Amino acid sequence: MMLRIRNLSASVDGKPILRGLELDVCAGEVHAIMGPNGSGKSTFAQVLAGRDTYHVVADELSFQGRDLRQMPPEIRAREGIFLAFQYPVEIPGVSNLYFLRAAVNAVRAHRGLPELDAVDFMSRARDEAKSLGMDDAMLKRSLNEGFSGGEKKRNEILQMKLLEPRLAILDESDSGLDIDALRIVADGINTMRSVDRAIIVVTHYQRLLNYVVPDRVHVLIGGRIIRSGSKELAMELEEKGYGWLEEQAAAERSEYKPGAKRKRDSAQPQENPQPSRKVS
Amino acid sequence: MSTVIAEQNVYGAQFSSMREHLPGSHWPWVERLRQKGMDDFLALGFPTTKLENWKYTNVAPLRRITFQPPIDQPLPPIRKLDSGQTRLVFVNGRFDPAFSTIDVRLNFHLRTIREALRDRKPASGIENHLGRYTRTSDHAFAAWNTAFFTDGAYIELPRGSVCEQPIHLVFIAAGNTEPWACHPRNLIVAGEGSQITFIEEFIGWNDSAHLTNIVTEIAAGPGAVLDYYKIEHESHQGFHVAVINAHLAKDASLTSHSISFGGSLVRNDLNVSLDGEGSHCTLNGLFVADGRRLIDNHTRIDHLRPHASSREIYKGVLAGNAEGVFNGAIAVHENARKADAVQYSKNLLLSTEAQINTKPQLEIRNNDVRCFHGATIGQIDTDAAFYLNSRGIAEHDAKGILIRGFAGEIIDTIRVPKVRGELEYQLNEWLRSVLEAS
Ligand SMILES: Nc1ncnc2c1ncn2[C@@H]1O[C@H](COP(=O)(O)OP(=O)(O)OP(=O)(O)O)[C@@H](O)[C@H]1O
Ligand SMILES: [Mg+2]
Repeated sequence: MMLRIRNLSASVDGKPILRGLELDVCAGEVHAIMGPNGSGKSTFAQVLAGRDTYHVVADELSFQGRDLRQMPPEIRAREGIFLAFQYPVEIPGVSNLYFLRAAVNAVRAHRGLPELDAVDFMSRARDEAKSLGMDDAMLKRSLNEGFSGGEKKRNEILQMKLLEPRLAILDESDSGLDIDALRIVADGINTMRSVDRAIIVVTHYQRLLNYVVPDRVHVLIGGRIIRSGSKELAMELEEKGYGWLEEQAAAERSEYKPGAKRKRDSAQPQENPQPSRKVS
Repeated sequence: MSTVIAEQNVYGAQFSSMREHLPGSHWPWVERLRQKGMDDFLALGFPTTKLENWKYTNVAPLRRITFQPPIDQPLPPIRKLDSGQTRLVFVNGRFDPAFSTIDVRLNFHLRTIREALRDRKPASGIENHLGRYTRTSDHAFAAWNTAFFTDGAYIELPRGSVCEQPIHLVFIAAGNTEPWACHPRNLIVAGEGSQITFIEEFIGWNDSAHLTNIVTEIAAGPGAVLDYYKIEHESHQGFHVAVINAHLAKDASLTSHSISFGGSLVRNDLNVSLDGEGSHCTLNGLFVADGRRLIDNHTRIDHLRPHASSREIYKGVLAGNAEGVFNGAIAVHENARKADAVQYSKNLLLSTEAQINTKPQLEIRNNDVRCFHGATIGQIDTDAAFYLNSRGIAEHDAKGILIRGFAGEIIDTIRVPKVRGELEYQLNEWLRSVLEAS
């Protein structure tokens, strides 16, 4: 099992956002997480990446068999967790290229690989950027500063490709993209699919899932995954919306007590039938 | 006040015994200038925090010390900033020919003040300009300098001359002796349509108390273009007070970069008179301090004629218990129609103890102006830091990147590549020491 989450709760200033979330993800899989606005999808993604704004409690939160709870975000990243932000941060005065190289070299050092020199890195970054339809000028500009929404999303995908994570969490990397850009981003994601890598895509739209076909689809409402299924579930949601599931969620929420052990119910994800593969 | 009396005794006595050995003592006009400086200095005494302009900068530590005239010091080899072919080096306020190089192809006057005042017939410029842009009656340090100045650079560019290479003026404080003060003085007179880049660099190579009290006067003729850099890197025990007075004629343009890395107390007064139609100044500043240091930047821009414009951005990075002051006065006078002034003060505090006092001061005496100012004080942006952390960049490195990004807005505008490179290096060194300590 690459990612194993049991009874994960997260709150900010005493306000609960995630309430007993459970999820298993194996290497080689693509999972989609869907859910209405404000249901906690980004919070979940940020918690996985190690954001310390949230107070996190869980029975288990492990990645490749290691407990994530005490692991600072930079170590998570070096161990192979990557989060494509829903809202990438603009950082004036820091060139994109400089940042990318610092990130890649930090991860490489952790994996015992030598630093890439500026020239080698430049040519790699250029090639990847080109495959995402980004021009060189964007590499030289300040990180995300003044980038359009679509440019920011591509820049996140570029980072993913350069950092080669084991687990990529893509928080609405498709939002705000026109159809051509969506296809480019989807292709970028698909080239990352491999047996030793897992991908979690957070999305509101079926149209991304037409390109990036998920192995599992989860519905996150009120801070919990209340329904999991195959890719057909996404189509059902597209058709029916979340209303029918929200009622169910509201009923469960009234029973929920933070930190308490809950009995497992039908809404929990099933254990994956395949034996978990060890990732090198 | 007893302190004033003590100052009168000590510095008055120093002046009496030194005056005839100071440069230009054979010129009555120099004598008068110095005497006026001394009189003003004694009348003013050191400023106290009761004075609005010194409210946040207490010079008491400096007042408690009796500064002697500096003694000559042998120097270790120069390894610092080497920006161009021409370099004048002053050690403790005295010109050091061994470390200086002057490109013989220069098509203008580049001499030391001492040398220029030694001539029987001084270049007409110096008498017309020296002291003309500096009021001594309201600034004790400028007055003190005027009484005691020993040397410095005198640059006079004839009409239309363009100096391709940057002129590098290096002021080194060396020697661990009794506390001493030196009073360098620079004068730059740029004729009509001339162009020059010059760099003042201050380096502390000692760790005993000393004071560098410098005055630089800049006179820019019509259409002259000046690119001025001041890089201050005094040692931890050093006091540094600088008054820079620039006077700009019609269509003249001055770009100033003032970068301060510390010393125990640093005060910069940069005053620009936009005294010609269409004149322009860009004032960029960056100051970084840690420990218990204090860096105070006072700037004043006087819009005196129509269509003059000014752009100003000062950035402070303060760590530990450091204190920063930015006071940016912009005065738009009655005649200065269509004045266009923009001022920003942006500050980054790296600790809860660090402090910044930032104050815009606008005096607008006509209503045909466009004037904007803004000030920000912030900490490291946690969203930005997390973004970098989430890419594998460790906490300290992330902070370093963000601070360099913040400072980059100033450093990236430096047009002399060697200066930019050197400042990036010095900033990195500073960041390393500050982030390791935190
Ligand atoms: N740092 C925070 N401080 C306060 N409230 C927060 C914080 N982070 C998230 N929330 C709140 O938690 C809830 C879930 O937010 P989150 O961003 O995780 O939703 P989401 O499912 O990603 O929504 P969307 O589809 O709009 O992106 C929202 O009500 C949000 O306002
Ligand atoms: Mg979200």
